[in-house]
Amino acid sequence: MSEETVRQPIGRTSATERDPTTSDKFRFWLPPDTIVNPFDIVVVDQVNQAGQPPSKTYGLVTTLEHRTDAPNDLANFISNNFGELSEEPNTPRQGTTVAFVNVLNNTADIYMPVPSERLVYFADLEGIQQALGTDTLLRDRPHDAIPAGLIKMSNGASAVAYLDRRYVLGPESAHVNISGISGLATKTSYAMFLIQSILQRARDPEKIAVIILNVKQADLLQIDRRRDDPLPPEQMELWEALGLEPRPFQNVHYLLPRGPNGQANSYPPVPGVHTLYAYDLEGTADKLDLLFSNVADPSGTMEGIYGEIMTGITGRDYEFKDVQSWDALLEFLREKQGEKGRWRGMFAGSSIGAFRRHLRRIVQTRQTGIFVQSRSRNERRLSDVLVNIQGGHTYVVDIAKLADDEQTLVFGDILRTVYAVKAEEAENRTETAPVPEKVIIFVDELNKYAPSGPKASPITQQVLDVAERGRSLGVILISAQQFMSAVHDRVTGNCATKILGRSGSAEVMQPDYRFLEQDLKMAVTRLVKGELLVSHAVYRQPVKVIFPLPAYRQEQS
Amino acid sequence: MPHPLSCLTPALNLLGANLKILPATGGAVEELQHPDADEIEDTLLNREAGEITDFAETPTPSPANLYRPTPPLFRAEKHLFRFFIDGSLRTYYLGTGLEERRSFPIQLAQIGAAAMVRHDDGRIRCLKSQHKILLLIPTGQYGLSDTVWQQLQPLQTPDGFFEVVDTTRKTALTPRDPSEEDPRTRAGGIARHRMHQLEVELIQATAAERNESAWLILDGAVKLDDFIKEPFLIGVAKSFRKDPEFRFGGGRSTARRDITSILAGLEFAHRTVAFSAHNGKVAFWYVRLRPQEELDYPLMGVVKVELPRPDGTPVDSDLADLISRALVAERNVTPYGWDRRWHCHLYPIFLAEQTIKNRFYSQQVLLGAVRWPKPTP
Repeated sequence: MSEETVRQPIGRTSATERDPTTSDKFRFWLPPDTIVNPFDIVVVDQVNQAGQPPSKTYGLVTTLEHRTDAPNDLANFISNNFGELSEEPNTPRQGTTVAFVNVLNNTADIYMPVPSERLVYFADLEGIQQALGTDTLLRDRPHDAIPAGLIKMSNGASAVAYLDRRYVLGPESAHVNISGISGLATKTSYAMFLIQSILQRARDPEKIAVIILNVKQADLLQIDRRRDDPLPPEQMELWEALGLEPRPFQNVHYLLPRGPNGQANSYPPVPGVHTLYAYDLEGTADKLDLLFSNVADPSGTMEGIYGEIMTGITGRDYEFKDVQSWDALLEFLREKQGEKGRWRGMFAGSSIGAFRRHLRRIVQTRQTGIFVQSRSRNERRLSDVLVNIQGGHTYVVDIAKLADDEQTLVFGDILRTVYAVKAEEAENRTETAPVPEKVIIFVDELNKYAPSGPKASPITQQVLDVAERGRSLGVILISAQQFMSAVHDRVTGNCATKILGRSGSAEVMQPDYRFLEQDLKMAVTRLVKGELLVSHAVYRQPVKVIFPLPAYRQEQS
Repeated sequence: MPHPLSCLTPALNLLGANLKILPATGGAVEELQHPDADEIEDTLLNREAGEITDFAETPTPSPANLYRPTPPLFRAEKHLFRFFIDGSLRTYYLGTGLEERRSFPIQLAQIGAAAMVRHDDGRIRCLKSQHKILLLIPTGQYGLSDTVWQQLQPLQTPDGFFEVVDTTRKTALTPRDPSEEDPRTRAGGIARHRMHQLEVELIQATAAERNESAWLILDGAVKLDDFIKEPFLIGVAKSFRKDPEFRFGGGRSTARRDITSILAGLEFAHRTVAFSAHNGKVAFWYVRLRPQEELDYPLMGVVKVELPRPDGTPVDSDLADLISRALVAERNVTPYGWDRRWHCHLYPIFLAEQTIKNRFYSQQVLLGAVRWPKPTP
C-alpha cells in the first residue's frame, strides 16, 4: 500500500466571499478531534498543465481559529440561560477550527490560489523537503545540506530541516544570527550544535577553522571532552535522526586571559592545556581605538588622541621612543597634560587629561590582569596565535571574566586578525599550513559590540565590516543576543539565516522582525525551551525545529 | 464546467420564444418572505380550529388548572429527540409574461428540506436533504396557454431537481380561488407548500430509527393536505395563530379564555394541558421555553406542540409531560442574533434550516442561469 493511499486528510480548504484563497495564503477547516498546530506543513493537490498529474501546493500553518455560528458573545451568554454556568446544552453550538496557511511551494511552480473544498493532508517527509525548497539541495548537492534541526509535526512525523551551506558559509550569502531571551540556555547550545553540524557534514573540515568566544562561566571550556553522563536515549535518537554523531569537538585550543596573578583568569574548571593571552602596549598600540569603543566621544577628541598615539608608537615616532609600556604611556600623557600649549597643536591639556583618565581606568585601575607592562614567556598575544589559525581546528577564546572594555578589545582583536589573515595582509603568519578557506566566529551578546543606532564605534565598524564583506573573504559570523532589535540592523540584515528562540511580544513587534508575519510573531512568544524558529534564505517561511543537547561536557563553577 | 442551473435554459428559451417577456430589473428579484409566514400557515392549516372546546389529554384536565410543570429533561438523562426536520425556500420574481391579452408573473423558487440526526454526544449531522428548483407559473385563464404549458412539462428534469409548477392549483396553503389573491403571493404559498411536502417526504428517512426513545421534531404543523400519521413525532411551531378561543364546560359554567390570557399565565418550564383539534386527530399544547421576564412580550418564548392522534385518542399526560420536559431542555443553544425568533427556536431546527440555506445557489449563480432569449425583430 503506498503512502498516498494510507494518509488521512485533515481538512478541506475553504474559500469564502469575504476570505478568498490567494497565491500566498489559504485556509482549511478541521473535522472534530483532528489536531493541527502552527508550523505544521500541509499539502493540497493543485492543478497542473494538461496531461500532467496534479501538482502539489505546500503550506505552513501559521495560526488556527475556532469559529462558531454565534454572531457575538452576547448570543453565547444568552444561550447559557443568560449567564448560567451549570447547564450543558443538548446540542453543542456548531463550530469548527480553521487553520490559516501560508503557501510555501508548488511542485510545478503554479501559484494560482488553491481552490476551495480541496482535501488537505500533512506533508510527508519528502514533501517537507519540497515545501522548504531543499529537495533539490538534497538531490544535487547533498554535501551542502547542513542539518539545522528536526521539524516535528502534530501527526508525529518529523523531518530534518536543512540549511544550504552556500547560504551559510558563502558564496551566495552568509552569517547566522540567533535571538531569544536568556535563561533558556538555548542560543549558545544551538550555535554549538550548528557549528558541529557544519563541521560534520563538510567534505572539507580541514579547511574550516572555528573561533568561539566563551562569555559565560566555563560553558565552553570543555567542548573537547565527552559528557560524564551519557546523553538520554531520546537525545541520542535526535542526533541520529539528524544524521549526526554526538561527539565533542576535536583539535580544540583554549585561549584564556591572563589574570592579576599571572594565572588563567577563567571560571573553573580551567582546561588543562591552554594558552594564556595578555596585552602589552606594543601588541595593543594598533588596537587602541578598540579600547575606546565604549567611551563617549561626540567631538572626536579621543579619536584624535589615540590616533596620534597609535601612529606614534607603531610608526616608531621619536617622541614615543620611551613609551614601551602602559605605565610609560600614562606617564607620557601626564607630561603632555601638564605642558603649556596644545599637544601637537591640537589637543588641550584638559582633553589629554580626560583621555588619560579613561586609559588609566581601562588598563590600570579596573583591569582584570590582562594588561601587562611586559609579557612573560608563557603569555601570548592573541593576534599572534590567531594569525597562525589552522583549518580543522577550533579556538575557544575565554572572555567570561573580562571587563566590558577588555571584551571589546579581544573581540575586535580577533576580527581584525582574522580579517588580515584572510585578506593575506598578515605579515607575521608563520604557520605553513594554508590559511583556512572558512573561518567561523561565534560570539554571544553581539549587542555589546554592534549595538543598534546610527553611531558606529570602532568595534561596531569592525563587526559591520565582517557582516558586509566577510562573506567574500570566508569570514563567517555566527552571533547571538537576547534582542535582535538591540543589534545594528546592518549586521542582522546581512545574516541570511536567522534563528529565533522565545522572545517577548514587545520585542517581536520591533521593525527588525518584519520578516515574520503577525501570527508567527505571536508564535515566537510561545516557543518553549529547545524550540527555535529557523528563517533561512532558501525557505519561503520560517520553520520550527528542535535540536539535541550538546555531546560535550558542560560544567559550570 | 456546465452551469449548475443549466436545466433552466430550455424552459426559459421556450417561454421567451412563445411569450413576450418583461424581465425583472436586474434579471431576478428575490421576493421578501412574509414576516409572519409561519403564523399565516398555522391559521390556514388550522382554520377549522378557531374555537377549542375539548381537551385531548388523559386523565382529563380541569378547566380550572390548565398548566402542568415540565422541568427540563436533558439529553444526558434521556435523549428523547434524535431527529429534526426543517425546510427553507427562496423565491425570485423573474419577470412578467405576456401571452395574448394575459399577463402573469414568472417566478422561480429554490426549496429544500433537511433531516438532521443528533448523536449521543450531541453532535448534529445531516441525515438526508432535498433541494429543488421550481419554475412557478399560473396557467389557464390566469396565465400560460395549454400549449406552452404542455411543452414545458417535458423540460422538467427526470431526477425531480427542476419542476414546473402551476400556481393556480389549490393547496392547503393556497385554498382560495386564484382570482382572490395576488398571483405573486400565491406563488410563494405554492412554493412553501412544495417545501413542506419535501419535509413530509423526509420523515420516511427517519422511520427505521424512530421509536419511543427516539422522536422526531418537525418544524411547524403535523398537517398539510393530509394529517401526518407517523408515530414518534411532534410538530413544533414557533409562530402560531393568536386568535383561537378556548371554551370549556357548558351552560352557565362555560369558561372562555383567549390564547393571550392562557399564555400570559404559563410559567417557565410549564406546559398547558393538551387541547383537541381536527376532531381529536391532533393534540396540541403550548410549552414555555423561557421565563417571561427575559423577554419583551408574554407570548414570546412559547412554542406550540402538535402530536398526531390518528385514532383520535387523547394523549397520556405523562407522555405530554415527557415531550414537554425534553423540549424545555432544547431551549439552548439559541440562534440569538441570527433569527428574530431565537426565543422559541430550537437549535437543531435552526441547523437544519442553515443546512438547506447553505446549499442554495447564490443570487449570482442564479442570475447566471436566467438568460432570456433576445426577442426576434
